[in-house]
Amino acid sequence: MRYAGEKRFNVWTVLTLVLLALFLLFVIYPIGMLLVKSLFTGSSVDLSYFVKFFTKKYYWGTLVNSFKVTVSSTLVACLIGVPMAYLLRSVKVPGSELLNILIVISYLSPPFIGAYAWIQLLGRNGFITRIINAAFHVKFGGIYGFAGIVLVFSLQSFPLIYMYVSGAMKNLDNSLNEAAESLGCNAFQRVTKVIFPLVMPSLLAGMLLVFMRVFSDFGTPMIIGEGYKTFPVMLYTQFMGEVGTNDGFAATMCVIVIVIALMFFFIQKFLGRKFTYSMTALKPMEAQQAAGWRKAASYAFVYLITFVAALPQLTVIVTSFIGTINGSLFTGEFTLDNYRNILSKGNTVAIRNTYLFGLEAIVVVVVCGILISYLSVRKRSVLTGILDVLTMFPYIIPGSVLGISFLYAFNGKPFLLGGTAIIIIISLSIRRMPYTIRSSTAIIGQISPSIEEAAISLGASQVKTFLRITVPMMLPGVLSGAIMSWITLISELSSSVILYTSRTMTLTVAIYSEVIRSNFGNAAAYSTILTLTSIVSLLLFFRVSGSKDLSV
Amino acid sequence: MGATITIENAVKRYGKDTIINGLSLEVKPGEFFTLLGPSGCGKTTLLRMIIGFNSIEGGTFRINDQIINDIPTNKRNIGMVFQNYAVFPHMSVFDNVAFGLKNRKVPKDEIQKRVDEILKIVKIDHLRDRMPAKLSGGQQQRVALARAIVIEPAVLLMDEPLSNLDAKLRVEMRNAIKRIQQQIGITTVYVTHDQEEALAVSDRIAVMNNGVIQQIDTPARVYQRPSNQFVSNFIGLSNFLPARVKRNGDRVSVCFQEDGGYEVAMSNLSPGVQDGQTVMAAIRPEEFEMLAGEGPGIPATVVSSVFLGTTTHYFLKLAGGQEVEAIQNSDVWEILPEGTQVRLTVKEKKINIFTADGSEPLVVREELL
Repeated sequence: MRYAGEKRFNVWTVLTLVLLALFLLFVIYPIGMLLVKSLFTGSSVDLSYFVKFFTKKYYWGTLVNSFKVTVSSTLVACLIGVPMAYLLRSVKVPGSELLNILIVISYLSPPFIGAYAWIQLLGRNGFITRIINAAFHVKFGGIYGFAGIVLVFSLQSFPLIYMYVSGAMKNLDNSLNEAAESLGCNAFQRVTKVIFPLVMPSLLAGMLLVFMRVFSDFGTPMIIGEGYKTFPVMLYTQFMGEVGTNDGFAATMCVIVIVIALMFFFIQKFLGRKFTYSMTALKPMEAQQAAGWRKAASYAFVYLITFVAALPQLTVIVTSFIGTINGSLFTGEFTLDNYRNILSKGNTVAIRNTYLFGLEAIVVVVVCGILISYLSVRKRSVLTGILDVLTMFPYIIPGSVLGISFLYAFNGKPFLLGGTAIIIIISLSIRRMPYTIRSSTAIIGQISPSIEEAAISLGASQVKTFLRITVPMMLPGVLSGAIMSWITLISELSSSVILYTSRTMTLTVAIYSEVIRSNFGNAAAYSTILTLTSIVSLLLFFRVSGSKDLSV
Repeated sequence: MGATITIENAVKRYGKDTIINGLSLEVKPGEFFTLLGPSGCGKTTLLRMIIGFNSIEGGTFRINDQIINDIPTNKRNIGMVFQNYAVFPHMSVFDNVAFGLKNRKVPKDEIQKRVDEILKIVKIDHLRDRMPAKLSGGQQQRVALARAIVIEPAVLLMDEPLSNLDAKLRVEMRNAIKRIQQQIGITTVYVTHDQEEALAVSDRIAVMNNGVIQQIDTPARVYQRPSNQFVSNFIGLSNFLPARVKRNGDRVSVCFQEDGGYEVAMSNLSPGVQDGQTVMAAIRPEEFEMLAGEGPGIPATVVSSVFLGTTTHYFLKLAGGQEVEAIQNSDVWEILPEGTQVRLTVKEKKINIFTADGSEPLVVREELL
């Protein structure tokens, strides 16, 4: 939309072009590199990598494994998350706010920390394993492989389902429930005929996110999978392996992941469009006091699930205060040695990097987010349309794929960024961008254009209006979004682990490499610092946004 | 035909607050009964007690002779139309209307027949297969109405069904609701805070304030013979003037203190009024007569006026400083300019007299004379 006297080529066009150039460079160019590497040898088309992948069971078998793990985990996550959301929305449970925070925290920590904590509990020599074996005189070998992966992923992902469904139920006006009741529905029928169909679109959106997250996560299967190789593990080893790394083949696997992710993205889009209902609740459902067996059952379910979900975090925090022999065997004595270790040996670089990179990425994300959402809502044109689509790309590209593509694209001339902090900050920003843009777009949508028009009619220029009216009005919403981004950025592993060097190591990378080296004491201490940071940030988020609900 | 609703000594408490304390009323079969009152007066609370969304802390609720206190909502067979329509957004118009019938295990072909029939009655049969997102507010409310009455409930409840519609649609829908209610003959309890709406649709109105019913009467009676100051000012508008009763044998008159001079002979005051008793006169703007020149009346000065076509509204100031409003037919005079001195007389058959605190009527109602 252009106002009278506005030139066709103005400051907004320039901004759009600059942003377009940035996204072409940091999104399209790296993905293009992947395509070129996978499809061409020299200058001729060569499909041999694809043939190699799909003819050898050693390779395609990992894809099947990944699907099994992903589908099972997503379903289990739904089976836990949906009842959780319904119970906490409809039944008064004491301490539900604390439960909410615990559930969110368990979701916000990187999945591989869950994997390693569960090994501490249910592994070969785990705490619970030893109790079980001693009590029942059995030789339970611990959960590894498929079961272990699904356990970790389900517990890690159900909070996302919970948040989506719970959010949708909040938008469901209670009068729909009451109407159904007055028309003869009992409680069970109300859930199946009214509530469930109406939260379905949100459930699908949540399922897609879980699916993508689980499908592309490599840390968990790496740690707890043992022999059970999933696709991301294969991709990582192909790319990082000490022997026989093959750029072209790794690139081919990246392309395969992107195609699969795209497929699921469009399936979800299609299903989501088919059942989208705009709902705004005047009076949301209210949690009621339950009685009798219903009360007992719902309390037991909610408390048990929350406890199990928070258990890995608890384990990590407790073990961070327990001494170790050579880092891997816990002695059982309480000490601060682990913290002394990570803070003394000059290892604080990981902590400092995490804070620094996180904050820098947040600045980039917020500035770009505000600008892009403003341009695509208020200055709609072909160019901003393209920009809008481009910025959604990173949404479906798994972190490890983004990391690999960045190395291909920026490790040589003309863009020598490999090993720098900049490349990590850019990859963090790019990965978070789609979420920030979507939330900023929603915020701008709430601001009536007539407010800006009023400013212009009073003599302000468009730029001044944007800076003095639009941005300040957006800020509160953007700020709480930024805190959320910060929490997800500091727990990012999959692209950082590919892009890091010893100077640009972050906390998650440090934890991961300590776990791989069996330095569980140090890993626990690092994890505790990360968890504490998340908790403090989350409390800050609740304070700033003034709400008890999260949108991720 | 419709059912009788009998409520005896209903009590509603939220924690320590008692919202309704011992309320009783009876709705007759086929009647269009309105609960009218300002927001927070307890009218919606009472409605939700009837359908079962609110617990009942005391008293009995009966439909015909059956006590419904402990029957769950989904077994009460009461239809309800909600303020925000509550049309299921994931179902077509047909499925919305058929929803209650399916729950009642009505055979498929009969569902088809009954839904089509009711859609014709509410005049949305052409929208049968639309999704709610593609319906206007008025159309959605028709779906909600059809959905509530197709199950042939004993009683139909409506909770401010028109408040989300724009002014023109509101009048159209309120006529439609009245027409459909009469056509079906279903006992209806209707909640609104809009007095004009209540006057237009109701057979009887219960005016509520602070959880207490102030008056139950036909629309005309509620307007013409309000039972206290609250009702006379909530329904329509009244000017309240202090006055004193003069009694001289059978001759009873009311003397307005403002001036001491203006005295109106009253033939309908209750026999118990005492000579010299202070009372409150409630005079609606159209019950004033504005006269020029010398003669009896309350002296007043025109402060401002609003010309509204058939009538003109005058805002006047009395000698004691009190402001009153009067409505005159526009053709009587040219519009009087600000500052004009007039005298006000009242139409003694129409005005109401209350006790000085405004709580009790002192006019004997026409039907009792």
